[in-house]
Amino acid sequence: MIGIGYRKDFAETFLTGTALNPAFIEVAPENWMGIGGYWKKQFAKVLERYPLFTHGLSLSIGSPDKLDFDFLRKVKAFLKETNAVLYSEHLSYAKCDNAHLYDLLPIPFTQDAVNHVSERIRTVQDLLEQKIAIEIVSYYTPVAPELSEIQFINSILEEADCELLLDVNNVYVNGFNHHYDAAAFIEQLPMERVRYIHMAGHEKVSDTLILDTHGEAIIDPVYELFAHTLRLLDRDVPVLLERDFNIPELVELQAEMDRLNSIKESIRKEKEYAFN
Amino acid sequence: MLLTDTTQQYQSNLACYCRTGNLAAIPGIHRENIREYRRLVYNVVEDMLRSAYPLAADFLPGEEWEALVNEFFSRHACQSPQVWYMPKEFYEYLAENNHPVLAAYPVLPDLLLFEWTETELFMMEDKPVDCSPSGDLLFSKLVLNPEHLLLAFDFPVHRKNAGQISDRDRGAYYAASHRNTAGEVIFTDCSPGLVRILEYLAEKPQSVRALFDRFEQEYQVLLNEDQQEHMIHFLQNALQQQLISGFKNY
Repeated sequence: MIGIGYRKDFAETFLTGTALNPAFIEVAPENWMGIGGYWKKQFAKVLERYPLFTHGLSLSIGSPDKLDFDFLRKVKAFLKETNAVLYSEHLSYAKCDNAHLYDLLPIPFTQDAVNHVSERIRTVQDLLEQKIAIEIVSYYTPVAPELSEIQFINSILEEADCELLLDVNNVYVNGFNHHYDAAAFIEQLPMERVRYIHMAGHEKVSDTLILDTHGEAIIDPVYELFAHTLRLLDRDVPVLLERDFNIPELVELQAEMDRLNSIKESIRKEKEYAFN
Repeated sequence: MLLTDTTQQYQSNLACYCRTGNLAAIPGIHRENIREYRRLVYNVVEDMLRSAYPLAADFLPGEEWEALVNEFFSRHACQSPQVWYMPKEFYEYLAENNHPVLAAYPVLPDLLLFEWTETELFMMEDKPVDCSPSGDLLFSKLVLNPEHLLLAFDFPVHRKNAGQISDRDRGAYYAASHRNTAGEVIFTDCSPGLVRILEYLAEKPQSVRALFDRFEQEYQVLLNEDQQEHMIHFLQNALQQQLISGFKNY
């Protein structure tokens, strides 16, 4: 199944038109909880038609600050109210020194951070009474690293016993920015923990830097990395197309979703052929 | 807390850099790339503030707006996990600190209040209202739309373009703002007397007669026929605009 990140930018056309046919939608709870009026009505209409996946922005799981339990309880209520299929968050921090920054900052790859983040994920899972999927974020600089990125991520997944949101584009971006083989990186991830996949476009801003903008179409090497990922999986995993800026005509987004679906289908057939 | 003080300090250094541009030592960082974080964070904040306060952002000279956004984000610790709510903190930051920009541009406080009210009403959670669409304007008890805010301004920002407002416009202006069932936010210019009538209605549903009686008692005046007509006309219009939601159910 292929879903789409639901955005206010195309909400009206999405509801009234037929150009976009996702299997599910994804939203950030922060943008939709505690609101009413026009957007609540629109959101209710969309929820009547599509299953909801959620992808949080402000939990700040890697923060040195205390977890915001009041916020978490609101998230829990939102997940229940919307019958959300899953809750995912970023392996990053967005709040520090008691101030929200509204962006995703990279956590130092250190053992104490592994312990800290793992404990917090377990706490969140206990409170929400469900496992959460943690996304490997794109990052533009390491911060005081003592462990490799793969050691850091795999240790957290293991210690927290949580699921993985594998953003294939992020791994591609990180591989380029930090000079490693993205395919080999994915091969080292615990594929049994992959609960959800994100796909998106990015922007190469210099010969040495790619920014994870979600503002362009997916490029071929990322589709190839996606196919490589699917070959490593032994089951069907939901896939989301993210597009946050520079939104094109919806038929173009549907074409990207169709391509993702056809890659999934061809890998499935490859596997069937191999087993038969 | 399982984080060491050192790791916490590095995280704090990065966050502080994003907010202020002052970079303390962090081992292992790519100096040429770290500026992307400050740029991205600033863009999110500026975009959100500009989208909440488009009139204020256009009203202030560009460099002044930019300096204000920078100052706010570097000095104020944003508390809301919901980014759309953060602009309220901007307004409160300026007001609580009696910021010099408010004195330099006397229209600005009203403009910010006017713009934030629109966002707050547009986004606020639905408030259930128990009333009937049918009733008698003069004799049934009127139910005020709970999704409303009453406003007082020193300048007529709800009537005129901020750029055309001068000190000669300074005065006492009142408005009622509400959200209708389509989700639109509507501002209605009001006299002080009409605002008081709406305040009575905000307390509990009341009939027009009861509203007049209370007004007359509070201000020790007798409303003449024209004044009563004017108020009835206002309430009729408020009913059409859904500032009054309907009539009390029995």
